Amino acid sequence: MTAIERAERMLRRSSFFMALGLVLMVAVYVRALRFTPVEATQGPAQKIYYIHPPSAWVAFLAFGIVGVCSLLYLFLKDPRLDRLAASSAEVGVVFTTVVLITGPIWAKPIWGTWWTWDARLTSTLFLWFVYFGYLVLRSAVPEPGRRARYSAVLGILGSLLVPFIHVSVLLFRTLHPKAVFLNPEGPGLPGPMLATLLFSLGVFTLFFFGLVTHRYAQATVVDARAAAEADDAR
Amino acid sequence: MPSTFAAAWAIAAKDLLLEFRSRTAFLSSLVFTALVLAIFNFARDPTAVSTTDIAPGILWVTFTFAGLLGLNRAFALERENHALDGLLLSPASRTALYLGKVVANLVFVAAIEAVALPLFALFFNMPLLPVLVPLAGVIALATVGFVVVGTLMSAIAVNTRFAELMLPVLMLPFLMPPITGAVQVTSRLFGGRPFSEVSAWLKLLVAYDIVFIVLCVLIFEHILDE
Amino acid sequence: MPDNSAYMVVAYVAAAVLYGGYAALLWWRTKKLKR
Repeated sequence: MTAIERAERMLRRSSFFMALGLVLMVAVYVRALRFTPVEATQGPAQKIYYIHPPSAWVAFLAFGIVGVCSLLYLFLKDPRLDRLAASSAEVGVVFTTVVLITGPIWAKPIWGTWWTWDARLTSTLFLWFVYFGYLVLRSAVPEPGRRARYSAVLGILGSLLVPFIHVSVLLFRTLHPKAVFLNPEGPGLPGPMLATLLFSLGVFTLFFFGLVTHRYAQATVVDARAAAEADDAR
Repeated sequence: MPSTFAAAWAIAAKDLLLEFRSRTAFLSSLVFTALVLAIFNFARDPTAVSTTDIAPGILWVTFTFAGLLGLNRAFALERENHALDGLLLSPASRTALYLGKVVANLVFVAAIEAVALPLFALFFNMPLLPVLVPLAGVIALATVGFVVVGTLMSAIAVNTRFAELMLPVLMLPFLMPPITGAVQVTSRLFGGRPFSEVSAWLKLLVAYDIVFIVLCVLIFEHILDE
Repeated sequence: MPDNSAYMVVAYVAAAVLYGGYAALLWWRTKKLKR
């Protein structure tokens, strides 16, 4: 099998994986909205909880993958690592955007304010900025080798930045009054709610990997075709 | 073969000499800084907000703008003259190249800050002399962090399209910890607060500087083409 | 129980639009590749 044929097979298989993830996402929606009880004191808005933290977990997982691939790329110079990092970044920014949108929509009814500069939301905001910088840098460097190196450098630096941001905000907030909120996560979720949350976490992770593998497969096909053209031209 | 530090000094000296001869970039950056400070005076309601409350923020936003201006010139000049290729052929190691650039940028930015600070004291009636030494210390800490990361970013940005826009977009997230720390410490200094209140922030600044100096020195060579 | 279901709807719709939209974008790109 040629490289192009292998890449195209990966593309077909990953599109099944992605479709499966999508179907499961619909299942999460159905379960969360129809088959999970409404929380008495917080009302229906509490159900945003079934998509907000799972999205956040994936957003940070995705950037972890970007960081690890970036570090490995600088040592190994394997273009597959660069492709994986780029795919994870692109998918990651989508999840991060969802976190930043669902966060305030959840915060307003539950905490009484649209935005708080708490450590998690702030870290997510800056994560978004770093993702954006990463993606826009990639689009601004045409040469693939250089693009991979620059992205890897930014990926590593960005990974180290996020913990610093988190600590800075924690320090910042110990000196400011905490936002008063009523029971955002509760002392512990009752059974059916916990089950929905865990189901959602699993599905979101699966969906993430479905998206990343498909995006990766696309990049592989593009690169394989480009390499074949370059070979033909010689 | 010159040692790394000697080579770095040589590179820094050459850069600064070039800068001194043309002087345009430096003078323009100074004037820009003065303008920003002046505009800030009108970016507030003096009857509602006391100067001491917003002064630290004004100072550090001004320093940030001036620093961003200063950083871009570092590699832009080299790229114009393809002088970077010449430097890479020299016996100087890539670490020396990076450190040299950092030192040159530090001197440039520090010179701007040295003029901006008294101007700030003048425009906003801030009595700086009693806290000058600790203030200089925190300015140094934050500026080092800023310049170390910024020199690396400008090396990346200069090879991209829309370089002048790319640099701030890449840089600004990285400035959040040093600026947060610097403003908090500056604010406590202006308010005459005890040292114990700022020690955590100072540790943050120091940790940031150490982590990113080491990281950037190690990683810089990957930016240069083979 | 507070009546804040509007928030829930907006959030769920927004997430669906973003996730579904991105999946659609990927699907569209694959279609272009297969041509």
